[in-house]
Amino acid sequence: MYLQHISLKNFRNYLRLELDLPQGVTVVQGRNAQGKTNLLEAIAYLATGKSLRALTERELVHWLAFEQEPIPYAEVAGDVLRDGIVTRLRIVLTQQGGRGSGSGLRKVVMINGVRQRAIDLLGILPIVLFLPEDISLVSGPPSARRKYLNLLLCQIDREYCSHLDAYTKVVTRRNAQLRSFQGKRPDPTLLAFWNDALVEHGTYIIHRRQEIIARLDELVREQHRILTAGHGRLRVEYRPSLTLIPPSTQVPKAQLALALAKEPVAYTPPPILPPHKIRKRFQETLNTLQREEIEAGATLVGPHRDEMAFLLDGRDVRTFGSRGQQRTVALAVKLAEVQLIEEALGTSPLLLLDDVMSELDEERRARVLHVVRQVPQAILTTTDWDVFDADFLAHAYCLQVNEGILTEKTPDTP
Amino acid sequence: MSDPIERTIEAFSRLPGIGPKTAARLTYFLLRAPNDVALDLADALKALKEEIHYCRRCFNVAQGELCSICADPGRDQHTICVVEEPLDIVAIERTGAYRGLYHVLHGAINPLANVGPEDLRINELVERVQKEEVREVILATNPNMEGEATAMYIARLLEPLGVRITRLAHGLPIGGDLEYADQQTLAQALEGRRPIS
Ligand SMILES: [Zn+2]
Repeated sequence: MYLQHISLKNFRNYLRLELDLPQGVTVVQGRNAQGKTNLLEAIAYLATGKSLRALTERELVHWLAFEQEPIPYAEVAGDVLRDGIVTRLRIVLTQQGGRGSGSGLRKVVMINGVRQRAIDLLGILPIVLFLPEDISLVSGPPSARRKYLNLLLCQIDREYCSHLDAYTKVVTRRNAQLRSFQGKRPDPTLLAFWNDALVEHGTYIIHRRQEIIARLDELVREQHRILTAGHGRLRVEYRPSLTLIPPSTQVPKAQLALALAKEPVAYTPPPILPPHKIRKRFQETLNTLQREEIEAGATLVGPHRDEMAFLLDGRDVRTFGSRGQQRTVALAVKLAEVQLIEEALGTSPLLLLDDVMSELDEERRARVLHVVRQVPQAILTTTDWDVFDADFLAHAYCLQVNEGILTEKTPDTP
Repeated sequence: MSDPIERTIEAFSRLPGIGPKTAARLTYFLLRAPNDVALDLADALKALKEEIHYCRRCFNVAQGELCSICADPGRDQHTICVVEEPLDIVAIERTGAYRGLYHVLHGAINPLANVGPEDLRINELVERVQKEEVREVILATNPNMEGEATAMYIARLLEPLGVRITRLAHGLPIGGDLEYADQQTLAQALEGRRPIS
């Protein structure tokens, strides 16, 4: 699978762009704020139907479009080649009611010229995007890790995406319903409906997160081992907000300590609970929490409060890790993600690395470039050609970006 | 608020889907237009509120005590199709695939908008099912989360009354309004309705 062509109209700082992309490595060099990240963002937008940086889609439209186009719009389109078949993806954002109407943007997604839902884009152009701020995946709040899990799972499982969408809607409605019960006798029929809906969609999400984190745990540990030459043992742990294994059935602490003392290296990850057991636990927990939830006017348990932890020799990297350790873990996670998508979709993702090299030491750069050479297509941005050696650049397609205009470039021409 | 221009703008902006800009545009349009354009509108609105009200049986719009459907003895008196709005009846009637009666809830359960079962014509529906000779209740609320919540709620309420309770088949655009579904899709959804358990 690879992206053959990308076309932008009024997207961010690109007024017009038509770009053929080769297989293998493309390097885009430019000073800050010239459009390096915007190009990667456009590709990620096409791949997922969502902007990973903008708060509103309005930000994606070039400001000149609002002043000069009769009907302001922005467009991203791309041709994806897989197994000899080209799929044309296209997203158009149009100002409703024409220029100056001040109303919202209309988003139209087309696949091979036919209108589709945004969710239908998922999986056609799988990507792994790594931005410098992605260190927040390790150092940031729990929401950053949930966002990461959601994006990964959505790309490999559309059903997850529709359950996630429904779950999010259920939570807001259920919260409002809980508030409406405050100071009253709750309507058992209504409560049952929102509980069932929460459990139905939540169970799917929890089940898939269990599976994906169990696999991430193995893959990230291996990547981390290679990146650090075996310094420290990394584990990725799922910390679901719903207690999946009730305390009574957990191994008593003393017994556990004994087991650990006998065999210090052995670690058995928690068992993956089947959906029917998750469903049962979820229902039971909601029943015991009913009064508390009504009082809080909020859903207190479920995937929207899940957490994932990175443990280096048993210590949480988020709290105890150095900046350097956190960055290495984030990199290991991204490299593992490449493998995970390959396993799930049977095709390698397009790797998008935004100015990642400058932050890394020699050895880690070499490791990243090793993976970059293995995937069928990678696009790297940089402010500085010097972070790559001449041999690497000689085999790459090199571009330079200046105020939203791309030009072909050979590194030796000044 | 005595300035007629301001009053008209204010009145228009209370309508759904009309912002202050559109309200002002409509107001100045009426001001410039020939007299009868504005006066016809005023008359139609007055008649709408004075002559049209809700059917006392099914809460569809009606000119008399009963709506034209409830007043028609040729309709199948044993089936009730439950919809959110009178406009949904128009959509279903257009398909020609349904010959029974209706019941209009005038909304759907929506906790975000603070609409609960007590704000809808649900008690009246239960009463009808108890008093009339109803054999089947078709729940034709919208295929979105609010419509689904309403359908499940009514289904649980009617369960002990021993009527057949069905829901429109899937295939309607999810999250959409019945009102906008095309005739063929809607007819198929009615045809393929399934019992709710
Ligand atoms: Zn009637």
